[in-house]
Amino acid sequence: MLGLTAASAAVLAGCAKDAPQDTWQPKGENAQKIHDLQWPVFLVAGIVGVIVLAAIGFVVIRYRDKGQPMPEQSHGKPALEIALTILPALILVGVGIPTASTIFDLADESDTECIINVTGQQWWWEYDYPAQDGCGGIAEPIVTSGQLVIPANTNVLLRLTSRDVIHSFWIPALNGKKDTVPGRVHTLRMQADQPGIYAGQCTEFCGLSHANMKMEAVALNPDDFQTWVGNQLEPYVSPEAGSQAALGEAAFTANCAYCHQVNGLSSTAPDGTVTPVLANPDQFVVSGAAPNLTHLMTRNTFAGATWDLLTDECRDRVWNASPEEFGALYLQGVTAECLNAVDLREWIRNAPAKKPMYASDAQKANSDGKVRGMPALGLNETQIDQIIAYLLERN
Amino acid sequence: MAIIERPSTPALAGSGAPAVVTPSQAYGVLKRPVSTTGWRSWVFTVDHKKLGIMYGVVAMFFFLVGGVEALLIRLQLAGPEGTVLSAGLYNEMFTMHATTMVFLFVMPMGAAFANYFIPLQIGARDVAFPRINAFGFWCFLVGGIFLNTSWFLGGAADGGWFMYQPNANALFSPSHGVDFWGLGLQITGIASLTGAVNLITTILNMRAPGMTLMKMPIFTWMSLVTQFLLLFAMPVITVALFLLMFQREFGATFFDVSAGADPLLWQHLFWIFGHPEVYIIVLPGFGIASEVLPVFSRKPLFGYRFVVFSGAAIGFVGWGVWAHHMFASGLGPVSVAVFSMATMLIAIPTGVKIVNWVLTMWGGKIWFTTAMLFIVGMIAQFTIGGLSGVTHAVAPSDTQQTDTYYIIAHFHYTIFGGAVMALFAGFYYWWPKMFGKLLSERLGKWNFWLMMIGVNLTFGPMHIIGLQGQPRRMMNWTEARAGEGFFNLGFWNRVASFGSLLITIGVILFLVNVWNTHKKSSTTPKAPLDPWDARSLEWITASPPKEHNFDAIPTVHALDEFFHRKYEVDHDTGEVRKIASAEEVLAAEEAKADKHIHLPSPSYWPIILAVSLPIMGYGVIFNRLLIAVGGVILLLAMFGWALEPSVADDSDYDPPVDGGGTSKELANIG
Amino acid sequence: MAMWMFLGSECLLFGGLISTYMLYRGRHPADLGPDQVFDIPFTSVSSFVLLMSSLTMVLAVSSAAQKDDRRTNLWLTVTALLGATFVGGQVYEFTSFYREGLGFTSSLFSSSFFTLTGFHGVHVTVGIIMLMALVGINKRGRIPGDKAEVVELVGLYWHFVDVVWIIIFTLVYLIPS
Repeated sequence: MLGLTAASAAVLAGCAKDAPQDTWQPKGENAQKIHDLQWPVFLVAGIVGVIVLAAIGFVVIRYRDKGQPMPEQSHGKPALEIALTILPALILVGVGIPTASTIFDLADESDTECIINVTGQQWWWEYDYPAQDGCGGIAEPIVTSGQLVIPANTNVLLRLTSRDVIHSFWIPALNGKKDTVPGRVHTLRMQADQPGIYAGQCTEFCGLSHANMKMEAVALNPDDFQTWVGNQLEPYVSPEAGSQAALGEAAFTANCAYCHQVNGLSSTAPDGTVTPVLANPDQFVVSGAAPNLTHLMTRNTFAGATWDLLTDECRDRVWNASPEEFGALYLQGVTAECLNAVDLREWIRNAPAKKPMYASDAQKANSDGKVRGMPALGLNETQIDQIIAYLLERN
Repeated sequence: MAIIERPSTPALAGSGAPAVVTPSQAYGVLKRPVSTTGWRSWVFTVDHKKLGIMYGVVAMFFFLVGGVEALLIRLQLAGPEGTVLSAGLYNEMFTMHATTMVFLFVMPMGAAFANYFIPLQIGARDVAFPRINAFGFWCFLVGGIFLNTSWFLGGAADGGWFMYQPNANALFSPSHGVDFWGLGLQITGIASLTGAVNLITTILNMRAPGMTLMKMPIFTWMSLVTQFLLLFAMPVITVALFLLMFQREFGATFFDVSAGADPLLWQHLFWIFGHPEVYIIVLPGFGIASEVLPVFSRKPLFGYRFVVFSGAAIGFVGWGVWAHHMFASGLGPVSVAVFSMATMLIAIPTGVKIVNWVLTMWGGKIWFTTAMLFIVGMIAQFTIGGLSGVTHAVAPSDTQQTDTYYIIAHFHYTIFGGAVMALFAGFYYWWPKMFGKLLSERLGKWNFWLMMIGVNLTFGPMHIIGLQGQPRRMMNWTEARAGEGFFNLGFWNRVASFGSLLITIGVILFLVNVWNTHKKSSTTPKAPLDPWDARSLEWITASPPKEHNFDAIPTVHALDEFFHRKYEVDHDTGEVRKIASAEEVLAAEEAKADKHIHLPSPSYWPIILAVSLPIMGYGVIFNRLLIAVGGVILLLAMFGWALEPSVADDSDYDPPVDGGGTSKELANIG
Repeated sequence: MAMWMFLGSECLLFGGLISTYMLYRGRHPADLGPDQVFDIPFTSVSSFVLLMSSLTMVLAVSSAAQKDDRRTNLWLTVTALLGATFVGGQVYEFTSFYREGLGFTSSLFSSSFFTLTGFHGVHVTVGIIMLMALVGINKRGRIPGDKAEVVELVGLYWHFVDVVWIIIFTLVYLIPS
C-alpha cells in the first residue's frame, strides 16, 4: 500500500541525478564506505518491511470475519517465538560487524596528507590552512571562507571547531556530518575522487539563520590546487589611484575594515606614515570573527555561501563542468562579466534584511552591544558602487 | 445498591427519613468540597476517572495547538523560499510543535488512559494516592498553560525541543521563551513524576484478589514499564533544566564555553532523559494495541509473556542507547560503536512485538471496527518506522541521515503512525466504556482512512526529502538545491504539505464525531454494556463506571478474566462456547455488592498547590517578589494538605436539612 | 512503597548533580578551588549533627510504633532541630565562602558545588517541613489509620537525605581534587 510505496521509494531514492546534497551519490572514498555499508542495510530493511507488510495484508484478508466459528484460544507457541527472536538477532549481527569496522575506518587519522582547520560561527564557515608540507606544500597560512578548497584524491583531515554555538559540517557527497562544538576539536576525513564542486550545509540547528549557513567543497587536481594556493598568497595590489576602486578602498576602510580583514590593506595618514589596517571583529561581533575578504573574488559565494557571486549562467558553467575542465574554470574566479551584482548590492545595502540575523541596535542590547551577523551599514548607492568595484579587484 | 460510606450523620442516626446532607457552600479552611455534581465536582475531584477525562480533554486541546503549529510549518515549506513565517517565528514554531506534541499531548494522553483504566483493569476503586493524582493533573494543566503564555510574553522558546547548549543560552536566545520552556517543563515534570509514583504503587499494591502480575492486562503492564521509565528519566531532565535555569537566570556558567564548560554535558543529560522518553511515548500505544488486537481477533494475545518481557526489555535497554542521538556529536569511535550495537539490540524486542501482533491476528476472526483499523494501520506504520530506525542504528549511515528529513520521517512514523494512531484506537475502543455512548463507526472509518493516507503522504515523502539531503529545522528550501526529476525536493515537499491537510480533516472528523455523539445525548442510544465482546476486567462494570468502579471487587482467575466468564473453552477440541452474557456476568457481580465502600473525598489543596508553581515560575522570569508569593501559597497548601484527612468528616457538610426538598442526596450512590 | 519509588527517582536526581560536580570540580581559578575554601572540621561537625538526627529519627519511629505520641513528638522535634542546625551551618558555610570571594557564578566549580549542596539543603528543609507537619498532625489527631507508618515514611526520606549527604561529603569534601 502507501507505506509500502514509501519504503520502496526510500530505497530507490538513490537513483535521482540532480539533487546536489543527495546522500546516495558518494563522490569520495569516505562517503563510498558509508554507502557500501548503507545500501545493503536499506535493502535488507526493505525486504523485511515488504515481508512484514505482506504478512499483515495476508492476515487481514485471510482471517477477516466471514462468519467462521470462534478461533482456538491459543496463547502462543514459545518455539516459534524464540525462533522469530533469534532470526532478527542474527540479521543484526550481520549488520553490526561491518558497522563497527566502518566506524573505526572513518575515525582513522594515520593516513592524513593535508590538514585544514574549519571553524563554524553564526552563520558562515571559516577555513584556515596552516603552513605545512602537506596538501602539496603551503608556505604561509591561508584564511578563506564559504568554499572549502581541497586537492582531489588526497586524504584531507578537517579539524573542526566553533566560535559560538554548535554547528555541523556536512558535505554529503564526501562524508557524513560531524558537529563542530565550541571548546572542542573534532576531526573529519575528506577525500574527493574527482575535481568538482560539492554542496553542503550546516546541519545542527544554530539559531536564526540556520537555513542560510551553507558551504561548498571544491576539489581541484593537485596542480590546480597549487595554483590556487599561489593565488591566495599573492600580495595586495592597491587600486589604481583615482579609479572607482580606489574610492572603494577608502569606503571599505571606513566602513568594512573594522571587521573584515583584507591582508595588505593599509592607510596613509596625512603626514605620510603608513599603518596596516587591522580588523578587530572581537570588538563588534559576538563570535569575534568576520570573513577574510583578501581574495573574495577567487570564491564563488558570499554570506555563508547563501548567495552566489556568479550570475546563474556562469554558475551553471562551473557546476556542470567536466572534471577535466573544472579546475581551469574555477580558477578564473569572478570576473566583471560574471559578477552577480544584484545580490551583492542588496547584501551590502542592508544585510539583515536579506538574511535574518541579530544585527539591529535593539537586538545588540542583549549581547554587550555586539552583533551576530552583518549589520546594515547605511551606505549610499555611490559608496556601494565603489565598494563593489573595489571588491571586484580582490582576486 | 452499594452505599458509599460517609461518617455517620445525626440524620442517619435519627428518624427513618432518608439521610439528606448538603455539601458545604462555604470555603472555610476546613470546609472541604464534597460536591458530586457541578463544576466543583470536577475542579476539586480526586476521582481517577474524572481526572482521566480531564487529562484527555486538555491533552486533546494541546494536540490541536500543536497541530496548528505543524500546519504552519508545512505551509511555510509547501513552496521554495517560504514567507509565511519569519525565521524567528519558524524556529519558535518547530520548537513548540515538538514540545507541545511530546509533553502536552502524547505523554498526558497516555496518562489519561493510564489514569482511567489502570484501576479499572486491576479491579481497584481508585489509585493509591488520589489527591496526588489530582495534583499531578493540575500541574500538567498549569504547566502547559504557563508554557504557552510565552507566545504572548515576548516569544516562545526557539532553541529546538532538544534545546542544545550553548545555542539556548541567554546570549544566543535572548527572549524569555527558553525560560518559559524550562520552567514549564519542570512543572509538567512534577505531574509525570507524581503520576509515576502513584501508578506504580497502585499497580503493585492494589490489584484485585487473584490477579498475579502475569494475569495483569497488557495495557497495565506496558503502563507499568512506562511509569518506571518516567520515574527514572524525569529526575535527569530535572537536573538539566535546573542547570539551564541557573545559567539563564542566575548567571551560572554550566554551559558557557568561555568559562571552561563542555556543551556536551547538556546533550548527555538531555538524551539520558530523551531516549527513555521515546519509549514513554510509545509504550502506552503498544499497550492499547495489545488490548485491541485480541478483542477484535477473538483470540488471546499471542505470546503474552513475550510481549510483557519484550516491553520490560525495551524499558531496560532504552537506558543504554541515548548516545545514538549523538553519533555526529564527536564521541570517540569506541562509544559510537558500543551505542550503535546497543541500538540494534533494542530492535529485537520491538520486532518481537510486531511479530506477536501479527500472529495474534493469524487464525483469528477479525472484526474491522474503527479501533481495529487504527491498530492495523499502526502496526504497518510502526514497522516502517522501526526499520528506518535500524538504518540509522548503523552509525556511519546515520551521519548521513541525522538532522535531515529522513529522521523526521522515522520518528513521525513511530510516534504519529505508531503511538498516536494507537491512542485514536483507544478513543474508539474505550469511548463506550467511558461515556456509555458509541462513537459513529461510519465517521470513524473516514477518520481512520484520512489519517492513514494523510500520515503516509506527509511523512512518506520525507524519507525521500531527507535522503536527498534536505536538513531539518530549516525555515525554507531553495530551488537551487532542490534537484530535478522524480526525487526533486519541490514536488515531495508539496506532497507532504498536502498530506498534512488530510490529517487535519481526519482530526476534525474525529471532533465532529465526538460532538455528534454527545450533543443529542438524549437521542443517541446508550451503548451496549459490552459492545466489542471484550476480554478484560474494566468491562465487568457499568458504562460509564460508577464512582466506586466496582460494586464488588472481582476475584480474578485468569488472564482475560471477562472472556472466561462469558465463554467456556473445551480443552480437548478447542471449541469455544458462550455460557453467559455480559449483563449476566455483571448482575452476578452486583449481587455480591460490598455494603460499605470508602472513597476519598474531594479536596482543593491539589489545585492550590499546583497553581502556586506557575506563580513562582513567572516570579523567576519577571519579578523575584512573585517567587515569595508563590512560595507562601506553596507552603500553606502543603501544610493544609498534610493536615487534611483523606476522607471528609461531618464538619465539612452543612447541617442536614429536615425533609430536605432542594438539597441533594449525597450518601447514596449506586 | 511509594516512598521507595520516589527515593529511587531521587537517586538519579543526585546522580545527575554529582556527575555535573565531578565533571566541573577541577575548573576553577587556582586560588579558589575546593582545597582552598573548604573548612573540613566545620563541615564534619555539621555532618555529625545531621547523622545524629538520623538517630533521633529512629527513636521517633520506634516511639510511634509504641503509640507513644508524646515521645514521638519530642523526637520528631529534636530531629527537626538537628536538621535545622545542619541547614543553618550550611547557610553559614555558604556566606563565609561568599565572603572569601567564591560566589555562585565565580567558576564552574562553584556553580556546581552550590547547586549540588544547595539541592541537598533544600531536601533537608523539605524534610524539616515534613517533620513539623507530622508534629502538627499528631497534635490534632486528625490522621486516621496507621500513624506509625507515616512517621516511618518520613523517617525513610530522612535517612535517605542523610545517606546522600554522606556520599556528597565524601566526594566533595574529603576526596582531594
